[in-house]
Amino acid sequence: MASVALRGLGKRFGTFTALESVDLSIPDGEFLVLLGPSGCGKTTVMRMIAGLEEPSCGDILIDGQRVNDLAARDRDLAMVFQNYALYPHMTVGQNIGYPLKIKRIKGEERQRRVQEAADKVELGHLLARKPAELSGGQRQRVALARALIRTPRLFLMDEPLSNLDAKLRTVMRAQLKHLQRELATTTIYVTHDQVEAMTLADRIVILNDARIQQIGTPAEIYARPANVFIAGFIGSPPMNLIEGRIENGRFVHAAGAVGVTAADRARAVLGLRPEDIALADPADADLVGEVYASELIGDHTLLSIRIGQTLVAVKVAPDGGLPIGTKAGLKASTGKLHVFDGESGERPPVRQ
Amino acid sequence: MRRSLPARFGLALLQMAVAAFVLIPFFWMLSVSLKPTTEPFAIPARLWPEAPTLANYVTAFRPEFRDYFLNSVVVSLSTVAITVTLGLLAAYAFSRARLLVITGLMSLVVLAQMFPHSAIIIPIYKMMRAADLLNTYTSLIVAYVSVTLPVAIWMLHGFLAKLPVSLEEAANIDGAGPIRVFWEIVVPLARPGIIATAVYVLIVTWQEFLFALSFTSSKAMRTLPVGLNDFIGQYGIRYGELMASSVMVSVPVVAVFFLLQRYFVAGLTAGAVKG
Ligand SMILES: Nc1ncnc2c1ncn2[C@@H]1O[C@H](COP(=O)(O)OP(=O)(O)OP(=O)(O)O)[C@@H](O)[C@H]1O
Ligand SMILES: [Mg+2]
Repeated sequence: MASVALRGLGKRFGTFTALESVDLSIPDGEFLVLLGPSGCGKTTVMRMIAGLEEPSCGDILIDGQRVNDLAARDRDLAMVFQNYALYPHMTVGQNIGYPLKIKRIKGEERQRRVQEAADKVELGHLLARKPAELSGGQRQRVALARALIRTPRLFLMDEPLSNLDAKLRTVMRAQLKHLQRELATTTIYVTHDQVEAMTLADRIVILNDARIQQIGTPAEIYARPANVFIAGFIGSPPMNLIEGRIENGRFVHAAGAVGVTAADRARAVLGLRPEDIALADPADADLVGEVYASELIGDHTLLSIRIGQTLVAVKVAPDGGLPIGTKAGLKASTGKLHVFDGESGERPPVRQ
Repeated sequence: MRRSLPARFGLALLQMAVAAFVLIPFFWMLSVSLKPTTEPFAIPARLWPEAPTLANYVTAFRPEFRDYFLNSVVVSLSTVAITVTLGLLAAYAFSRARLLVITGLMSLVVLAQMFPHSAIIIPIYKMMRAADLLNTYTSLIVAYVSVTLPVAIWMLHGFLAKLPVSLEEAANIDGAGPIRVFWEIVVPLARPGIIATAVYVLIVTWQEFLFALSFTSSKAMRTLPVGLNDFIGQYGIRYGELMASSVMVSVPVVAVFFLLQRYFVAGLTAGAVKG
């Protein structure tokens, strides 16, 4: 159990900046998810917190104590490596039990805890195997069990479920969430899967281009993405982004116009979630286009409507599918419109 | 890539030719060792003795041979133990160091192995004499360690540099200190490299002649290669016994090599890291 604070933390590899000054406070017991596309610096942040990489600037505080100069093994944290990092000469059981061996926990207790941890990741029957004799997903679960067997101050998990099949991933996700609540151990979790982030996180930190883009609860980030990058990253399918301009309180596009509460600007991006759009009679619709594709997903049908050069995704009832080429009018739910600046991509500050 | 049939045939032929070229002297050694004293230079020369005999072995396996053998074992095994231990520690430091100064030293180590033995033997001899170490095991062991260590460091460095660093990082996170990481993670994983290096050092020291001849004066201190000299007299060479001794000198090294050759094939780190 510990709180973590990053103060102006940054990392350069030679002349390449992997992480620009990051400020972040993580309260005790929080499940924090770092979310971002490949190469945005997620692993780098984790490795610096773990003490495997030296920061180029800034401080790392655990429980208010500066740990920059503390060796990794003295920081008392458990980490799941993105590449698993299993000990190839040890069996699964020995791998999972290694942290306990170091703590001189012997015999029966060690065996019991190894079995417990292995059972949690559904590997209880494979303790005698060597890592080379496991599938990728099984290896990943060994890595996870090796972390879960401990009771550290802090869990660091670098994409711990990335290699599991969809079903097992859902099960493990729920288990991790439950376990973290139970242990109340502060957890920093890296993923580039936004569904994982939304479901697991108390708070999400979105990273891109070596910078924090937004920090917030999943609901906040979903409801008010701070810029077009986040808007286009969160949600499945993500928010529709339509380019146009704002004139006299209306977003104007060749295919129509819609009333918005934003100042005029020559270039603007309108953001609309697929579930916040309804089909309407073209005569009194906000925007008019034609059906490009119609896909039945299961509990809904996803329509792609072509508006100018843009494809707009719309979620409708399962039986709401339309033939390709049909003229379709779109009406945006009031109050669910997002406007971003066309130049910077940022959401303009709210006018009071 | 699959080669065409004639290409594979040609390649196999070439391999056999190379193997024959390398093996013929050994075959000749064996053959001569089994010939009766009258036969080695019979004309026409025979590839294989008409009446093979072990008589040469019986005479060659004299009490001196056993002393020489023991000397060789003591000197070689001590050298292997010291060189591999020091080499492993040095190579680990070199392979994990981030400071340019230290990695630069590695090139010096590589440079050190370029000096021919004949160039350094006199200075080392003088040092040994000054230290009053001539005609002792120590003089040979020290000399052998100094000539084998650079190559050993270089070989082990190659193995250690290929071990994924993240295994050591994982052990650190699990709470292991540097010594523990070295013994429980690095050494077991470097085992093929350690064995290969040990065998190399063993072969080099087992057959070394120049240092052994220069540094030992008494018969009691001689090693096997020097001992072979006994059969080369002023008035003639006793080929049969010489070759029989040579066979007996070679057998332990060949045996070690065959026993351990499966370790030379690496692949111990399978399954450690993704990708
Ligand atoms: N040791 C290194 N030397 C040089 N550049 C590095 C090093 N480690 C990482 N980088 C660079 O830093 C950037 C961030 O890397 P990082 O591993 O943190 O990405 P990531 O967000 O974890 O990506 P992924 O989702 O693919 O794992 C990348 O552009 C990477 O190429
Ligand atoms: Mg990563």
